[in-house]
Amino acid sequence: MKALLIDVTRCVGCRGCQVACKEWNELPAEKTRFFASPKGYQNPRDLSSKTWRVVTYNEAQTNGRFEWVFGHLQCFHCIEPSCATACPVSALQKTKEGPVVYDPDRCLGCRYCQLACPFLVPRFEWDKAIPKITKCTMCADRVAAGEEPACAKVCPTDAIVFGEREDLIAEAENRIHRNPRGYVHHIYGKDEVGGTCVLHLSNVPFEVLGYRTDLPKISLREYTKTAMQVVPHVKIGLAVALGAVSWVIQRRIRNGRDEKNGSSSGGES
Amino acid sequence: MTNHWSDMVHADVIMIMGSNAAENHPIATKWITRAKEKGAIVVSADPRYTRTSSFADVYCKFRSGTDIAFVGGMINYALQNDFVQKDYVLNYTNASFIISEKYGFDDGLFTGYNPASRSYDKSHWAYELDGKGMPVRDMTLQHPRCAFQLLKKHFQRYDVDTVCNITGAPRDVYLQVCRHYTSTWAPDRVGTWLYAMGATQHTHGTQNIRTYAILQLLLGNVGLAGGGVNALRGESNVQGSTDMALLFHILPGYLASPTAADQSLAAYLASNTPRTNDPKSANWWGNYPKYIVSLLKAWYGGHAARENDFAFSYIPKRSGDYSWISLFEAMYAGQIKGLMLFGQNPAVGGPNTNKEIKALEKLDWMVAVDLWETETASIWKRPGVKPADIKTEIFLLPSASSVEKEGSITNSARWAQWRYAAVHPVGNSRSDLWILDALCKAVKKEYAAGGVFPEPITRLAWDYGTGEEVDVRKEPDVHRVAKEINGYFTQEKTVGGRQYKKGEQVPGFALLQDDGSTCSGNWLYCNSYAGPEKKDNKMARRSKRDAMNGIGLYPDWAWCWPVNRRILYNRASVDPTGKPWNPKRWVIRWNAGKKQWEGDVPDGPWPPGEKHPFIMKPDGHAWLFAGNLNDGPLPEHYEPLESPLPNMMSRQQVNPAIKLWHKDAPEMNAVGTADRFPIVGTTYRVSEHWQAGAMTRNLPWLAELVPDVFVEMGVDLARQKGVQNGDRVTLETARGKMSGYALVTRRFEPFRHNGKIVHEVGVIWHFGYQGIVKGDSANVLTPHVGDANTMIPEYKAFLCNVYKAKGGAS
Ligand code: SF4
Ligand code: SF4
Ligand code: SF4
Repeated sequence: MKALLIDVTRCVGCRGCQVACKEWNELPAEKTRFFASPKGYQNPRDLSSKTWRVVTYNEAQTNGRFEWVFGHLQCFHCIEPSCATACPVSALQKTKEGPVVYDPDRCLGCRYCQLACPFLVPRFEWDKAIPKITKCTMCADRVAAGEEPACAKVCPTDAIVFGEREDLIAEAENRIHRNPRGYVHHIYGKDEVGGTCVLHLSNVPFEVLGYRTDLPKISLREYTKTAMQVVPHVKIGLAVALGAVSWVIQRRIRNGRDEKNGSSSGGES
Repeated sequence: MTNHWSDMVHADVIMIMGSNAAENHPIATKWITRAKEKGAIVVSADPRYTRTSSFADVYCKFRSGTDIAFVGGMINYALQNDFVQKDYVLNYTNASFIISEKYGFDDGLFTGYNPASRSYDKSHWAYELDGKGMPVRDMTLQHPRCAFQLLKKHFQRYDVDTVCNITGAPRDVYLQVCRHYTSTWAPDRVGTWLYAMGATQHTHGTQNIRTYAILQLLLGNVGLAGGGVNALRGESNVQGSTDMALLFHILPGYLASPTAADQSLAAYLASNTPRTNDPKSANWWGNYPKYIVSLLKAWYGGHAARENDFAFSYIPKRSGDYSWISLFEAMYAGQIKGLMLFGQNPAVGGPNTNKEIKALEKLDWMVAVDLWETETASIWKRPGVKPADIKTEIFLLPSASSVEKEGSITNSARWAQWRYAAVHPVGNSRSDLWILDALCKAVKKEYAAGGVFPEPITRLAWDYGTGEEVDVRKEPDVHRVAKEINGYFTQEKTVGGRQYKKGEQVPGFALLQDDGSTCSGNWLYCNSYAGPEKKDNKMARRSKRDAMNGIGLYPDWAWCWPVNRRILYNRASVDPTGKPWNPKRWVIRWNAGKKQWEGDVPDGPWPPGEKHPFIMKPDGHAWLFAGNLNDGPLPEHYEPLESPLPNMMSRQQVNPAIKLWHKDAPEMNAVGTADRFPIVGTTYRVSEHWQAGAMTRNLPWLAELVPDVFVEMGVDLARQKGVQNGDRVTLETARGKMSGYALVTRRFEPFRHNGKIVHEVGVIWHFGYQGIVKGDSANVLTPHVGDANTMIPEYKAFLCNVYKAKGGAS
């Protein structure tokens, strides 16, 4: 299974990856304005149907040292993706190569996946008459053609590398081992929600980068499945369907609040 | 760059000062990251904590404009602690040379100063010569007037406390920087020094770079893999355009542009060809006559002959300084009528843009060749003016972008890389080459009808395959241009026993002649296109084969001047017997069996010890003490033109050899003082935008990343000014004001100088009134004042004030 390893200690925040993502996937630019919070550089503010990858800029004081660290928002390509489980028409699919892909022709626009995703990744095309869900595809078309994803290809410092998930985990462990003081001793995504195909290494605690650190180590698929199976039809009250996964609702409430405030899910510590 | 991008991987310590490589040269970080993986220490010295600082092991702040004090202190640290590569310094630098008795230094002034002309008589700083005209040397380095002792004495004054008081660098961090960097004095350790416009754009910019060179020489880091003094150039082909005479004082290949005093080729050669009496000095510039004659042959072909001094009288002679600021001052004074701009946008990029835009309004006509309608091309409709009031007639010629035309670009590492047109130019746009070809043919036609002195135009050798008439369908043959730049034999000629036919490409500059039998548009590029076929275009090579030393020279990838030498001054990477100082990452070495050098292309073929290694210097040695600069043979700290503090080193507040435009041409050249403008201001770029912004503020994907001008300021200053992150703020200097969003950040900290707190703010200068994202141009703030040697404007340090304005962002 293929995966991406993002080592934020190597990232210089140049955003080549963010532009390459738009270029390859032919995503239009958004109309943006200076973004005061967190600290000016981050733009667009958040993921959207037009922006599948966002670099976040985080000022932090850790271990007595001032740091400016760059976080990364994009789909994690979970090994057992709750978005796919939640999708009533299987528009979202986990491929055996690694990418979690979707078929826009099938998408109903019900947004179940958005609610099910622990990372708030799928985004809705609010500006379209028949809005669909969109997200990072791990450049599945490139991967199928034997190429690495655009963001990994363009990164000058190899902060994003592409490869077999097992190899990348070994590489990540090796980096921590070689430089134990330079890293938080945790590979984010190795176990989170049962494991993801986007792995992160960091020198600052992951919450500083705005990453969730309250996630279970097991797949959320079973919860999601149960929630979807207790009722026969898909046209069901959202709250009932998702009652079984209460953290998702918590997340959703936060999401709603964030959207209203116009702030981002990534951000300053 | 003395070295090249991928060479940074060999460094043990990487100093990044006056450069924000991560933002402005992100690809450099590929190699820096790999060096770090191998254990290299990265130091970022910058007034502001940048994206470069974010991956550095040590970040040391210092106030803008105090670079000489900062590095001067490092030089002193190295000298005091004897962290000096002695064999290198003794044999390869002018440390042992005795300096004239007339040399002296007192209270910020070197001897020979004339306050009326604000200039020095440099004869006071000459070497002492013996009866044979050879420099007198003291190989014990003890003579009180040897360059080494003078250097030591000069920099003794830059002790750590003084330096930290001037620069505002925290003492403990500064000492860490000194320790790390000077550790590279050991022959098996090496440090590289990376800089960019943060270092050069000062009234003492040249001397800033001199401090780097001195330190690198003392540590023995020049010529080695992973070492050198490396300018990360500010534009992808700026090295190429400088090589080809972008600047007013040079002709292609760094030949001096003639002045009015050079009334004949002989007079020009007499004042420019260096001489030496030392048989061990290669004195490469002794070849001056061959290079200038070959250049004149390229320009005037059959019209350049010995009888007419090779048409030397046809080329313009300058009668002064035609640098950027001087040109705009002359334009403002009404002395310049017309202006051609190729990809330049002075209304955003020039210093003191309020004045420069006024100067542009005084032109009769202006031609702007660009991809977009820039601010400069649209001064007639800029905010706040009535188009009818602007009399300048402006022509906009749409030009092809880099991916729409074939040709070479030369990167910072001096690699000329050939590129191909990927797509046809959009709409009616044309390549610069087409525009120049058509223009030249049209101008020739005008002069053919007569004129005061038409020959310099009518006799130009001009044939790039498009015929006599301007034809929109015919693209000039860029290969013909490249071949002419390389040069060819203009007649049959025997050199070194080999016969060359007329029209044959010259294989290398050592074969260029001063008798008119060769032409070369740029001697430095001789060897780049060494045969008649496209396959002989070495710039197009793409082999990934490495040289035998395995240090990533990739000699068959593109081509690099001079003669494909990847690391300059590489004869200094070996000891006097030809053994590499560091055998683990050797650049060249002498193979005694084969009696030849191996590795990189050496700085000349002579066996070890036969010639001094710094072949471009008439004395063959690198200059710790440089008697040819306008503002002194040793770097000395002066404050920027506008500074909140008195100079703590001497009573000379500013560089005594700079031209003071506010005195000579006071109109619109006001200088601010600290009572009204107590804050230090600086300007810079971000990764997401490019220069004056035309190429990026018109691209939606880049515009969305940085859609507005922002002003970075520290938390304390923001609190004092009642400014919150995202508020609109106004920045004001004695010359203008502009607004942007406040970015309040801990990355900008105040400086402490002798207990006095000084704040600094920084603003990006990419914006203007055109493009899909617009904003005020920061260059309304910057002054018209330049470096004493190069006249590069002092963009990087000025005085300003900041106020909260109406509005803001969330
Ligand atoms: S391209 Fe690489 S270094 Fe640049 S922001 Fe993206 S991950 Fe970071
Ligand atoms: S991160 Fe969210 S959208 Fe991406 S695969 Fe996992 S559950 Fe699906
Ligand atoms: S993997 Fe492809 S789609 Fe996903 S963030 Fe990277 S470039 Fe964008």
